[in-house]
Amino acid sequence: MTVATGGPGAGAAAPTPGVAARPPRQAPADLTVTFADESTVRRVSAALGEPDWLLGDRLAAIAAFGPLPVEANRLYTPYVDLRTARLAEVRLYEVAAAAPGRSAASEIPEGAAGIVELREDEVAALALDDEARAAGVILDTVAGLRARDPDLLRRLLAGSQLPDDDKLAQLTRALWVQGVVIHVPDGVRLERPIVLRWALGAPGRALLSRTLVSVGDDAQLTLVEEQVPSDLPAGATAGTAVAGTVEVGAGAPAVGAPPQASQSLYGGTTEVRLGRAANVAVASLQDFSIGQVIFQHRAGVVGPASTLHWALAQLGSRLVRSRVDNRLEGDGSSVEQVEIVFGSADQLFDLTSYTRHLGRDTTGNLLSKAVLLDHSRAYLKGLISIDKPAHGTDSFLGEFGMLLSKQARSVAIPSLEIDQPDCRRAAHSSSVGPIDEGQLFYLESRGIPPFEARKFIVLGFLEPVVARVPLADAQDRLRDLLDAKWAAAQPSAPASGRATAAA
Amino acid sequence: MATTPEIVSSEYQYGFHDEVVYLTETKRGLTRETVEEISRIKGEPQWMLDFRLRAYDHFLVRAMPTWGGDLGQIDLDRIVYYRKPSDREEKSWDDVPDKIKQTFERLGIPEAERKFLSGVGAQYDSEVVYHNVREELTKIGVVFMGTDEGLRQYPELFRKYFATVVPPEDNKFAALNSAVWSGGSFVYVPKGVEVPLPLQAYFRINAENTGQFERTLIIVDEGAKVHYIEGCTAPIYTTDALHAAVVEVIALPGSKVRYTTIQNWSNDVYNLVTKRAHAHAGATVEWIDANTGSRLTMKYPSIYLRGEGATAEVISVAVAGRGQHQDTGAKAIHLAPNTRSRIVSKSVSKDGGRSTYRGSLKVSPGATGVVASVRCDALLLDEGSRSDTYPYIDIQEDDTTMTHEATVGKVSQDQIFYLMSRGLTENEATNMVVQGFLEVFTKELPMEYAIEFNRLVKLEMEGSLG
Repeated sequence: MTVATGGPGAGAAAPTPGVAARPPRQAPADLTVTFADESTVRRVSAALGEPDWLLGDRLAAIAAFGPLPVEANRLYTPYVDLRTARLAEVRLYEVAAAAPGRSAASEIPEGAAGIVELREDEVAALALDDEARAAGVILDTVAGLRARDPDLLRRLLAGSQLPDDDKLAQLTRALWVQGVVIHVPDGVRLERPIVLRWALGAPGRALLSRTLVSVGDDAQLTLVEEQVPSDLPAGATAGTAVAGTVEVGAGAPAVGAPPQASQSLYGGTTEVRLGRAANVAVASLQDFSIGQVIFQHRAGVVGPASTLHWALAQLGSRLVRSRVDNRLEGDGSSVEQVEIVFGSADQLFDLTSYTRHLGRDTTGNLLSKAVLLDHSRAYLKGLISIDKPAHGTDSFLGEFGMLLSKQARSVAIPSLEIDQPDCRRAAHSSSVGPIDEGQLFYLESRGIPPFEARKFIVLGFLEPVVARVPLADAQDRLRDLLDAKWAAAQPSAPASGRATAAA
Repeated sequence: MATTPEIVSSEYQYGFHDEVVYLTETKRGLTRETVEEISRIKGEPQWMLDFRLRAYDHFLVRAMPTWGGDLGQIDLDRIVYYRKPSDREEKSWDDVPDKIKQTFERLGIPEAERKFLSGVGAQYDSEVVYHNVREELTKIGVVFMGTDEGLRQYPELFRKYFATVVPPEDNKFAALNSAVWSGGSFVYVPKGVEVPLPLQAYFRINAENTGQFERTLIIVDEGAKVHYIEGCTAPIYTTDALHAAVVEVIALPGSKVRYTTIQNWSNDVYNLVTKRAHAHAGATVEWIDANTGSRLTMKYPSIYLRGEGATAEVISVAVAGRGQHQDTGAKAIHLAPNTRSRIVSKSVSKDGGRSTYRGSLKVSPGATGVVASVRCDALLLDEGSRSDTYPYIDIQEDDTTMTHEATVGKVSQDQIFYLMSRGLTENEATNMVVQGFLEVFTKELPMEYAIEFNRLVKLEMEGSLG
């Protein structure tokens, strides 16, 4: 991309002897995956028995993948860092199961309307309760839907809004082997959530997957996504897995700790389309183990008077590169997005969100909070765009960080691009600070030990975001995860005892 | 407040230019020979020629920036890189050539000097033609002269600090400036000396396709204090002019520097400026920066807080009208403990103009106890105008306290309605709201400048209705 333009004074543009070849090393934006080629695409498509149009879609994606830079947005190129990803040895799951191992209604967690549990390349469970099924709700794997209703699948894929300029999104679009489809017809308001559980982390393996969600007019869906290590029993808490791998404090920094030899890659999408006056809430709790690298894309297209909620919690994985694209197309549509990051060891959370206001009187409310321990880093990048037709927009973006270690690093790039002056509000706000000594002193003066006071303040910083997770169970589970991660990250052992006593 | 609206032409007020016979000028375009010729005309020491050539080499290999405004229209081959309007520096206003004097008189510089200012360094194209520092300042050792003259008279001081803040390799236009620089101000304030009144310099571009590459070096010794003001106006031309300046400020321990700019280049000028200061222990640096003119301005006054307890402040305002892009902002780089910075940015976009805030706030490891704040507000006055905000906040120290706020909005109809109900026309009411919005800047200016600036804003606003 960076081509040296010759100077003025034609002909004076001499060769550039100053630019010497660098010794080989991994640059921050270098990505090495061995399976991203056309022959793999063709093999995957053939193995899945796909029709030509679907192969065509994959081929278009792999063609786009090649020349694209990892970060296409010039605003963000200084803050890309894939160096902790070691994916050269990672092999793609080229075929994934289409049919569930278990499909009994008894698999459905209490209070939920359905479940999909994906364990590596298997479909561990797939079940939808009778009421939802009777209302016309579809919950299936992509392969399952293709067999049943190929036209619907084709429509869903055609409406996808995966960003064309995103290399990693195109990688998933080219080579996805697993997929989940959720369709809620017009007028169906599903009160209870559908649970989507990903259990991944087999060393040296990559799973690429797409989740397609369509919610019709006046319809409602709540989706709870749990991302956990596959070597833990379902439902167990992995919070300790990440922090436990690194000795904290006492002069034993995590820097220099070699990345695990065999990492695991997850490339996933959640592509949501909302009709008129629809309501979708997605809560995601990412708690993979430290050997995980994830490239995540979430894209929402919001129709008139519809509302999309994202509540995204990032706790696990060594490297998370996540992007959310919200398109507020319909008049009166809105998006509410809350993200929290709780980092430790040498985790890097690279989170970007694009919110594009296109309809009239649309609302965007985006809030990110990061607590960073050890050598962890958070890059919080958000761009609000208000296009010409978007009169009456109200848009807010907040990015807040709390650094709890000298080696932690927080980068916030909250940006605005405003083409339409007639707006109710267009603002962003950002802050970074340590634990407030005043608050600490106050709590200690009330007899709370310093250790516990710190925990209260840190978890209290995240709590306003936790409280916006749409499902009470998911909220509690997230609180447990945060609690466990905090405890595991503490230098001395009394953590668990005290934490239990406080709880 | 006058009740009868003044009838003011929306033509650029200072858009006149004089026929001047240039005594020396280089051929259009930039070659190694051009750089050597500039140095030869100036009779510079070898090290400066070497420096220019090093910068020229870097300029050739350095890519054009692609992240900011549209630079595609600049034709670097059509630009005259050096032009010398008169042979020697003048000390008295009476000796300045008539043509040049007329231009400056229409800009009101002598009056400003008589009334208020302690010194005038007025740059007409590439050389300082008029220079006067009051005797008492000279007596206490304050140096205020053209940069070329500074190189001749204070070679050691000059060499010690020159290009230490902005090296030629910093960016493409800093490299260009370093290769062909001419003119600008050289200021040295000795230890403990407080300069009571602002030092002032005017820069103008005259003659079609003149590049202006002034280079300003300000050294403020320990415990000293100075306020430097520059104001710019330039005649209208149809082809594109380029202004690529470099300003370096060194604030030694305990000193205080304020640098105020009112930039009102005509709307065909590309204004690509690198302004940077080093603030040593306990020093304070303030950039007060207004951009109303030019076709494209890319300017991000920066402060590197190098010493413990240093303080940085940037107040920046921009007005982008028809065909204009103001890509401005500020940078505060915290490198030492207990340093503080405050950035306030205000922009107004109208008639399809575009304003961009692009800023950077960095806190390096080891810079403990930093307190920093950034505030950006933008007003969009009409359909078709645009505002972008791109702040970068990179914090690598855990006890940093940083806050950032940004808003974009339109002029409140309630405020307009209220003012109109008090008898103001809509035009006057809007003007008043905009002036109020920019007041955070205006109130930092000496009175004469505040009046002039408000007049400029008013002209801009009335132009918008024409």
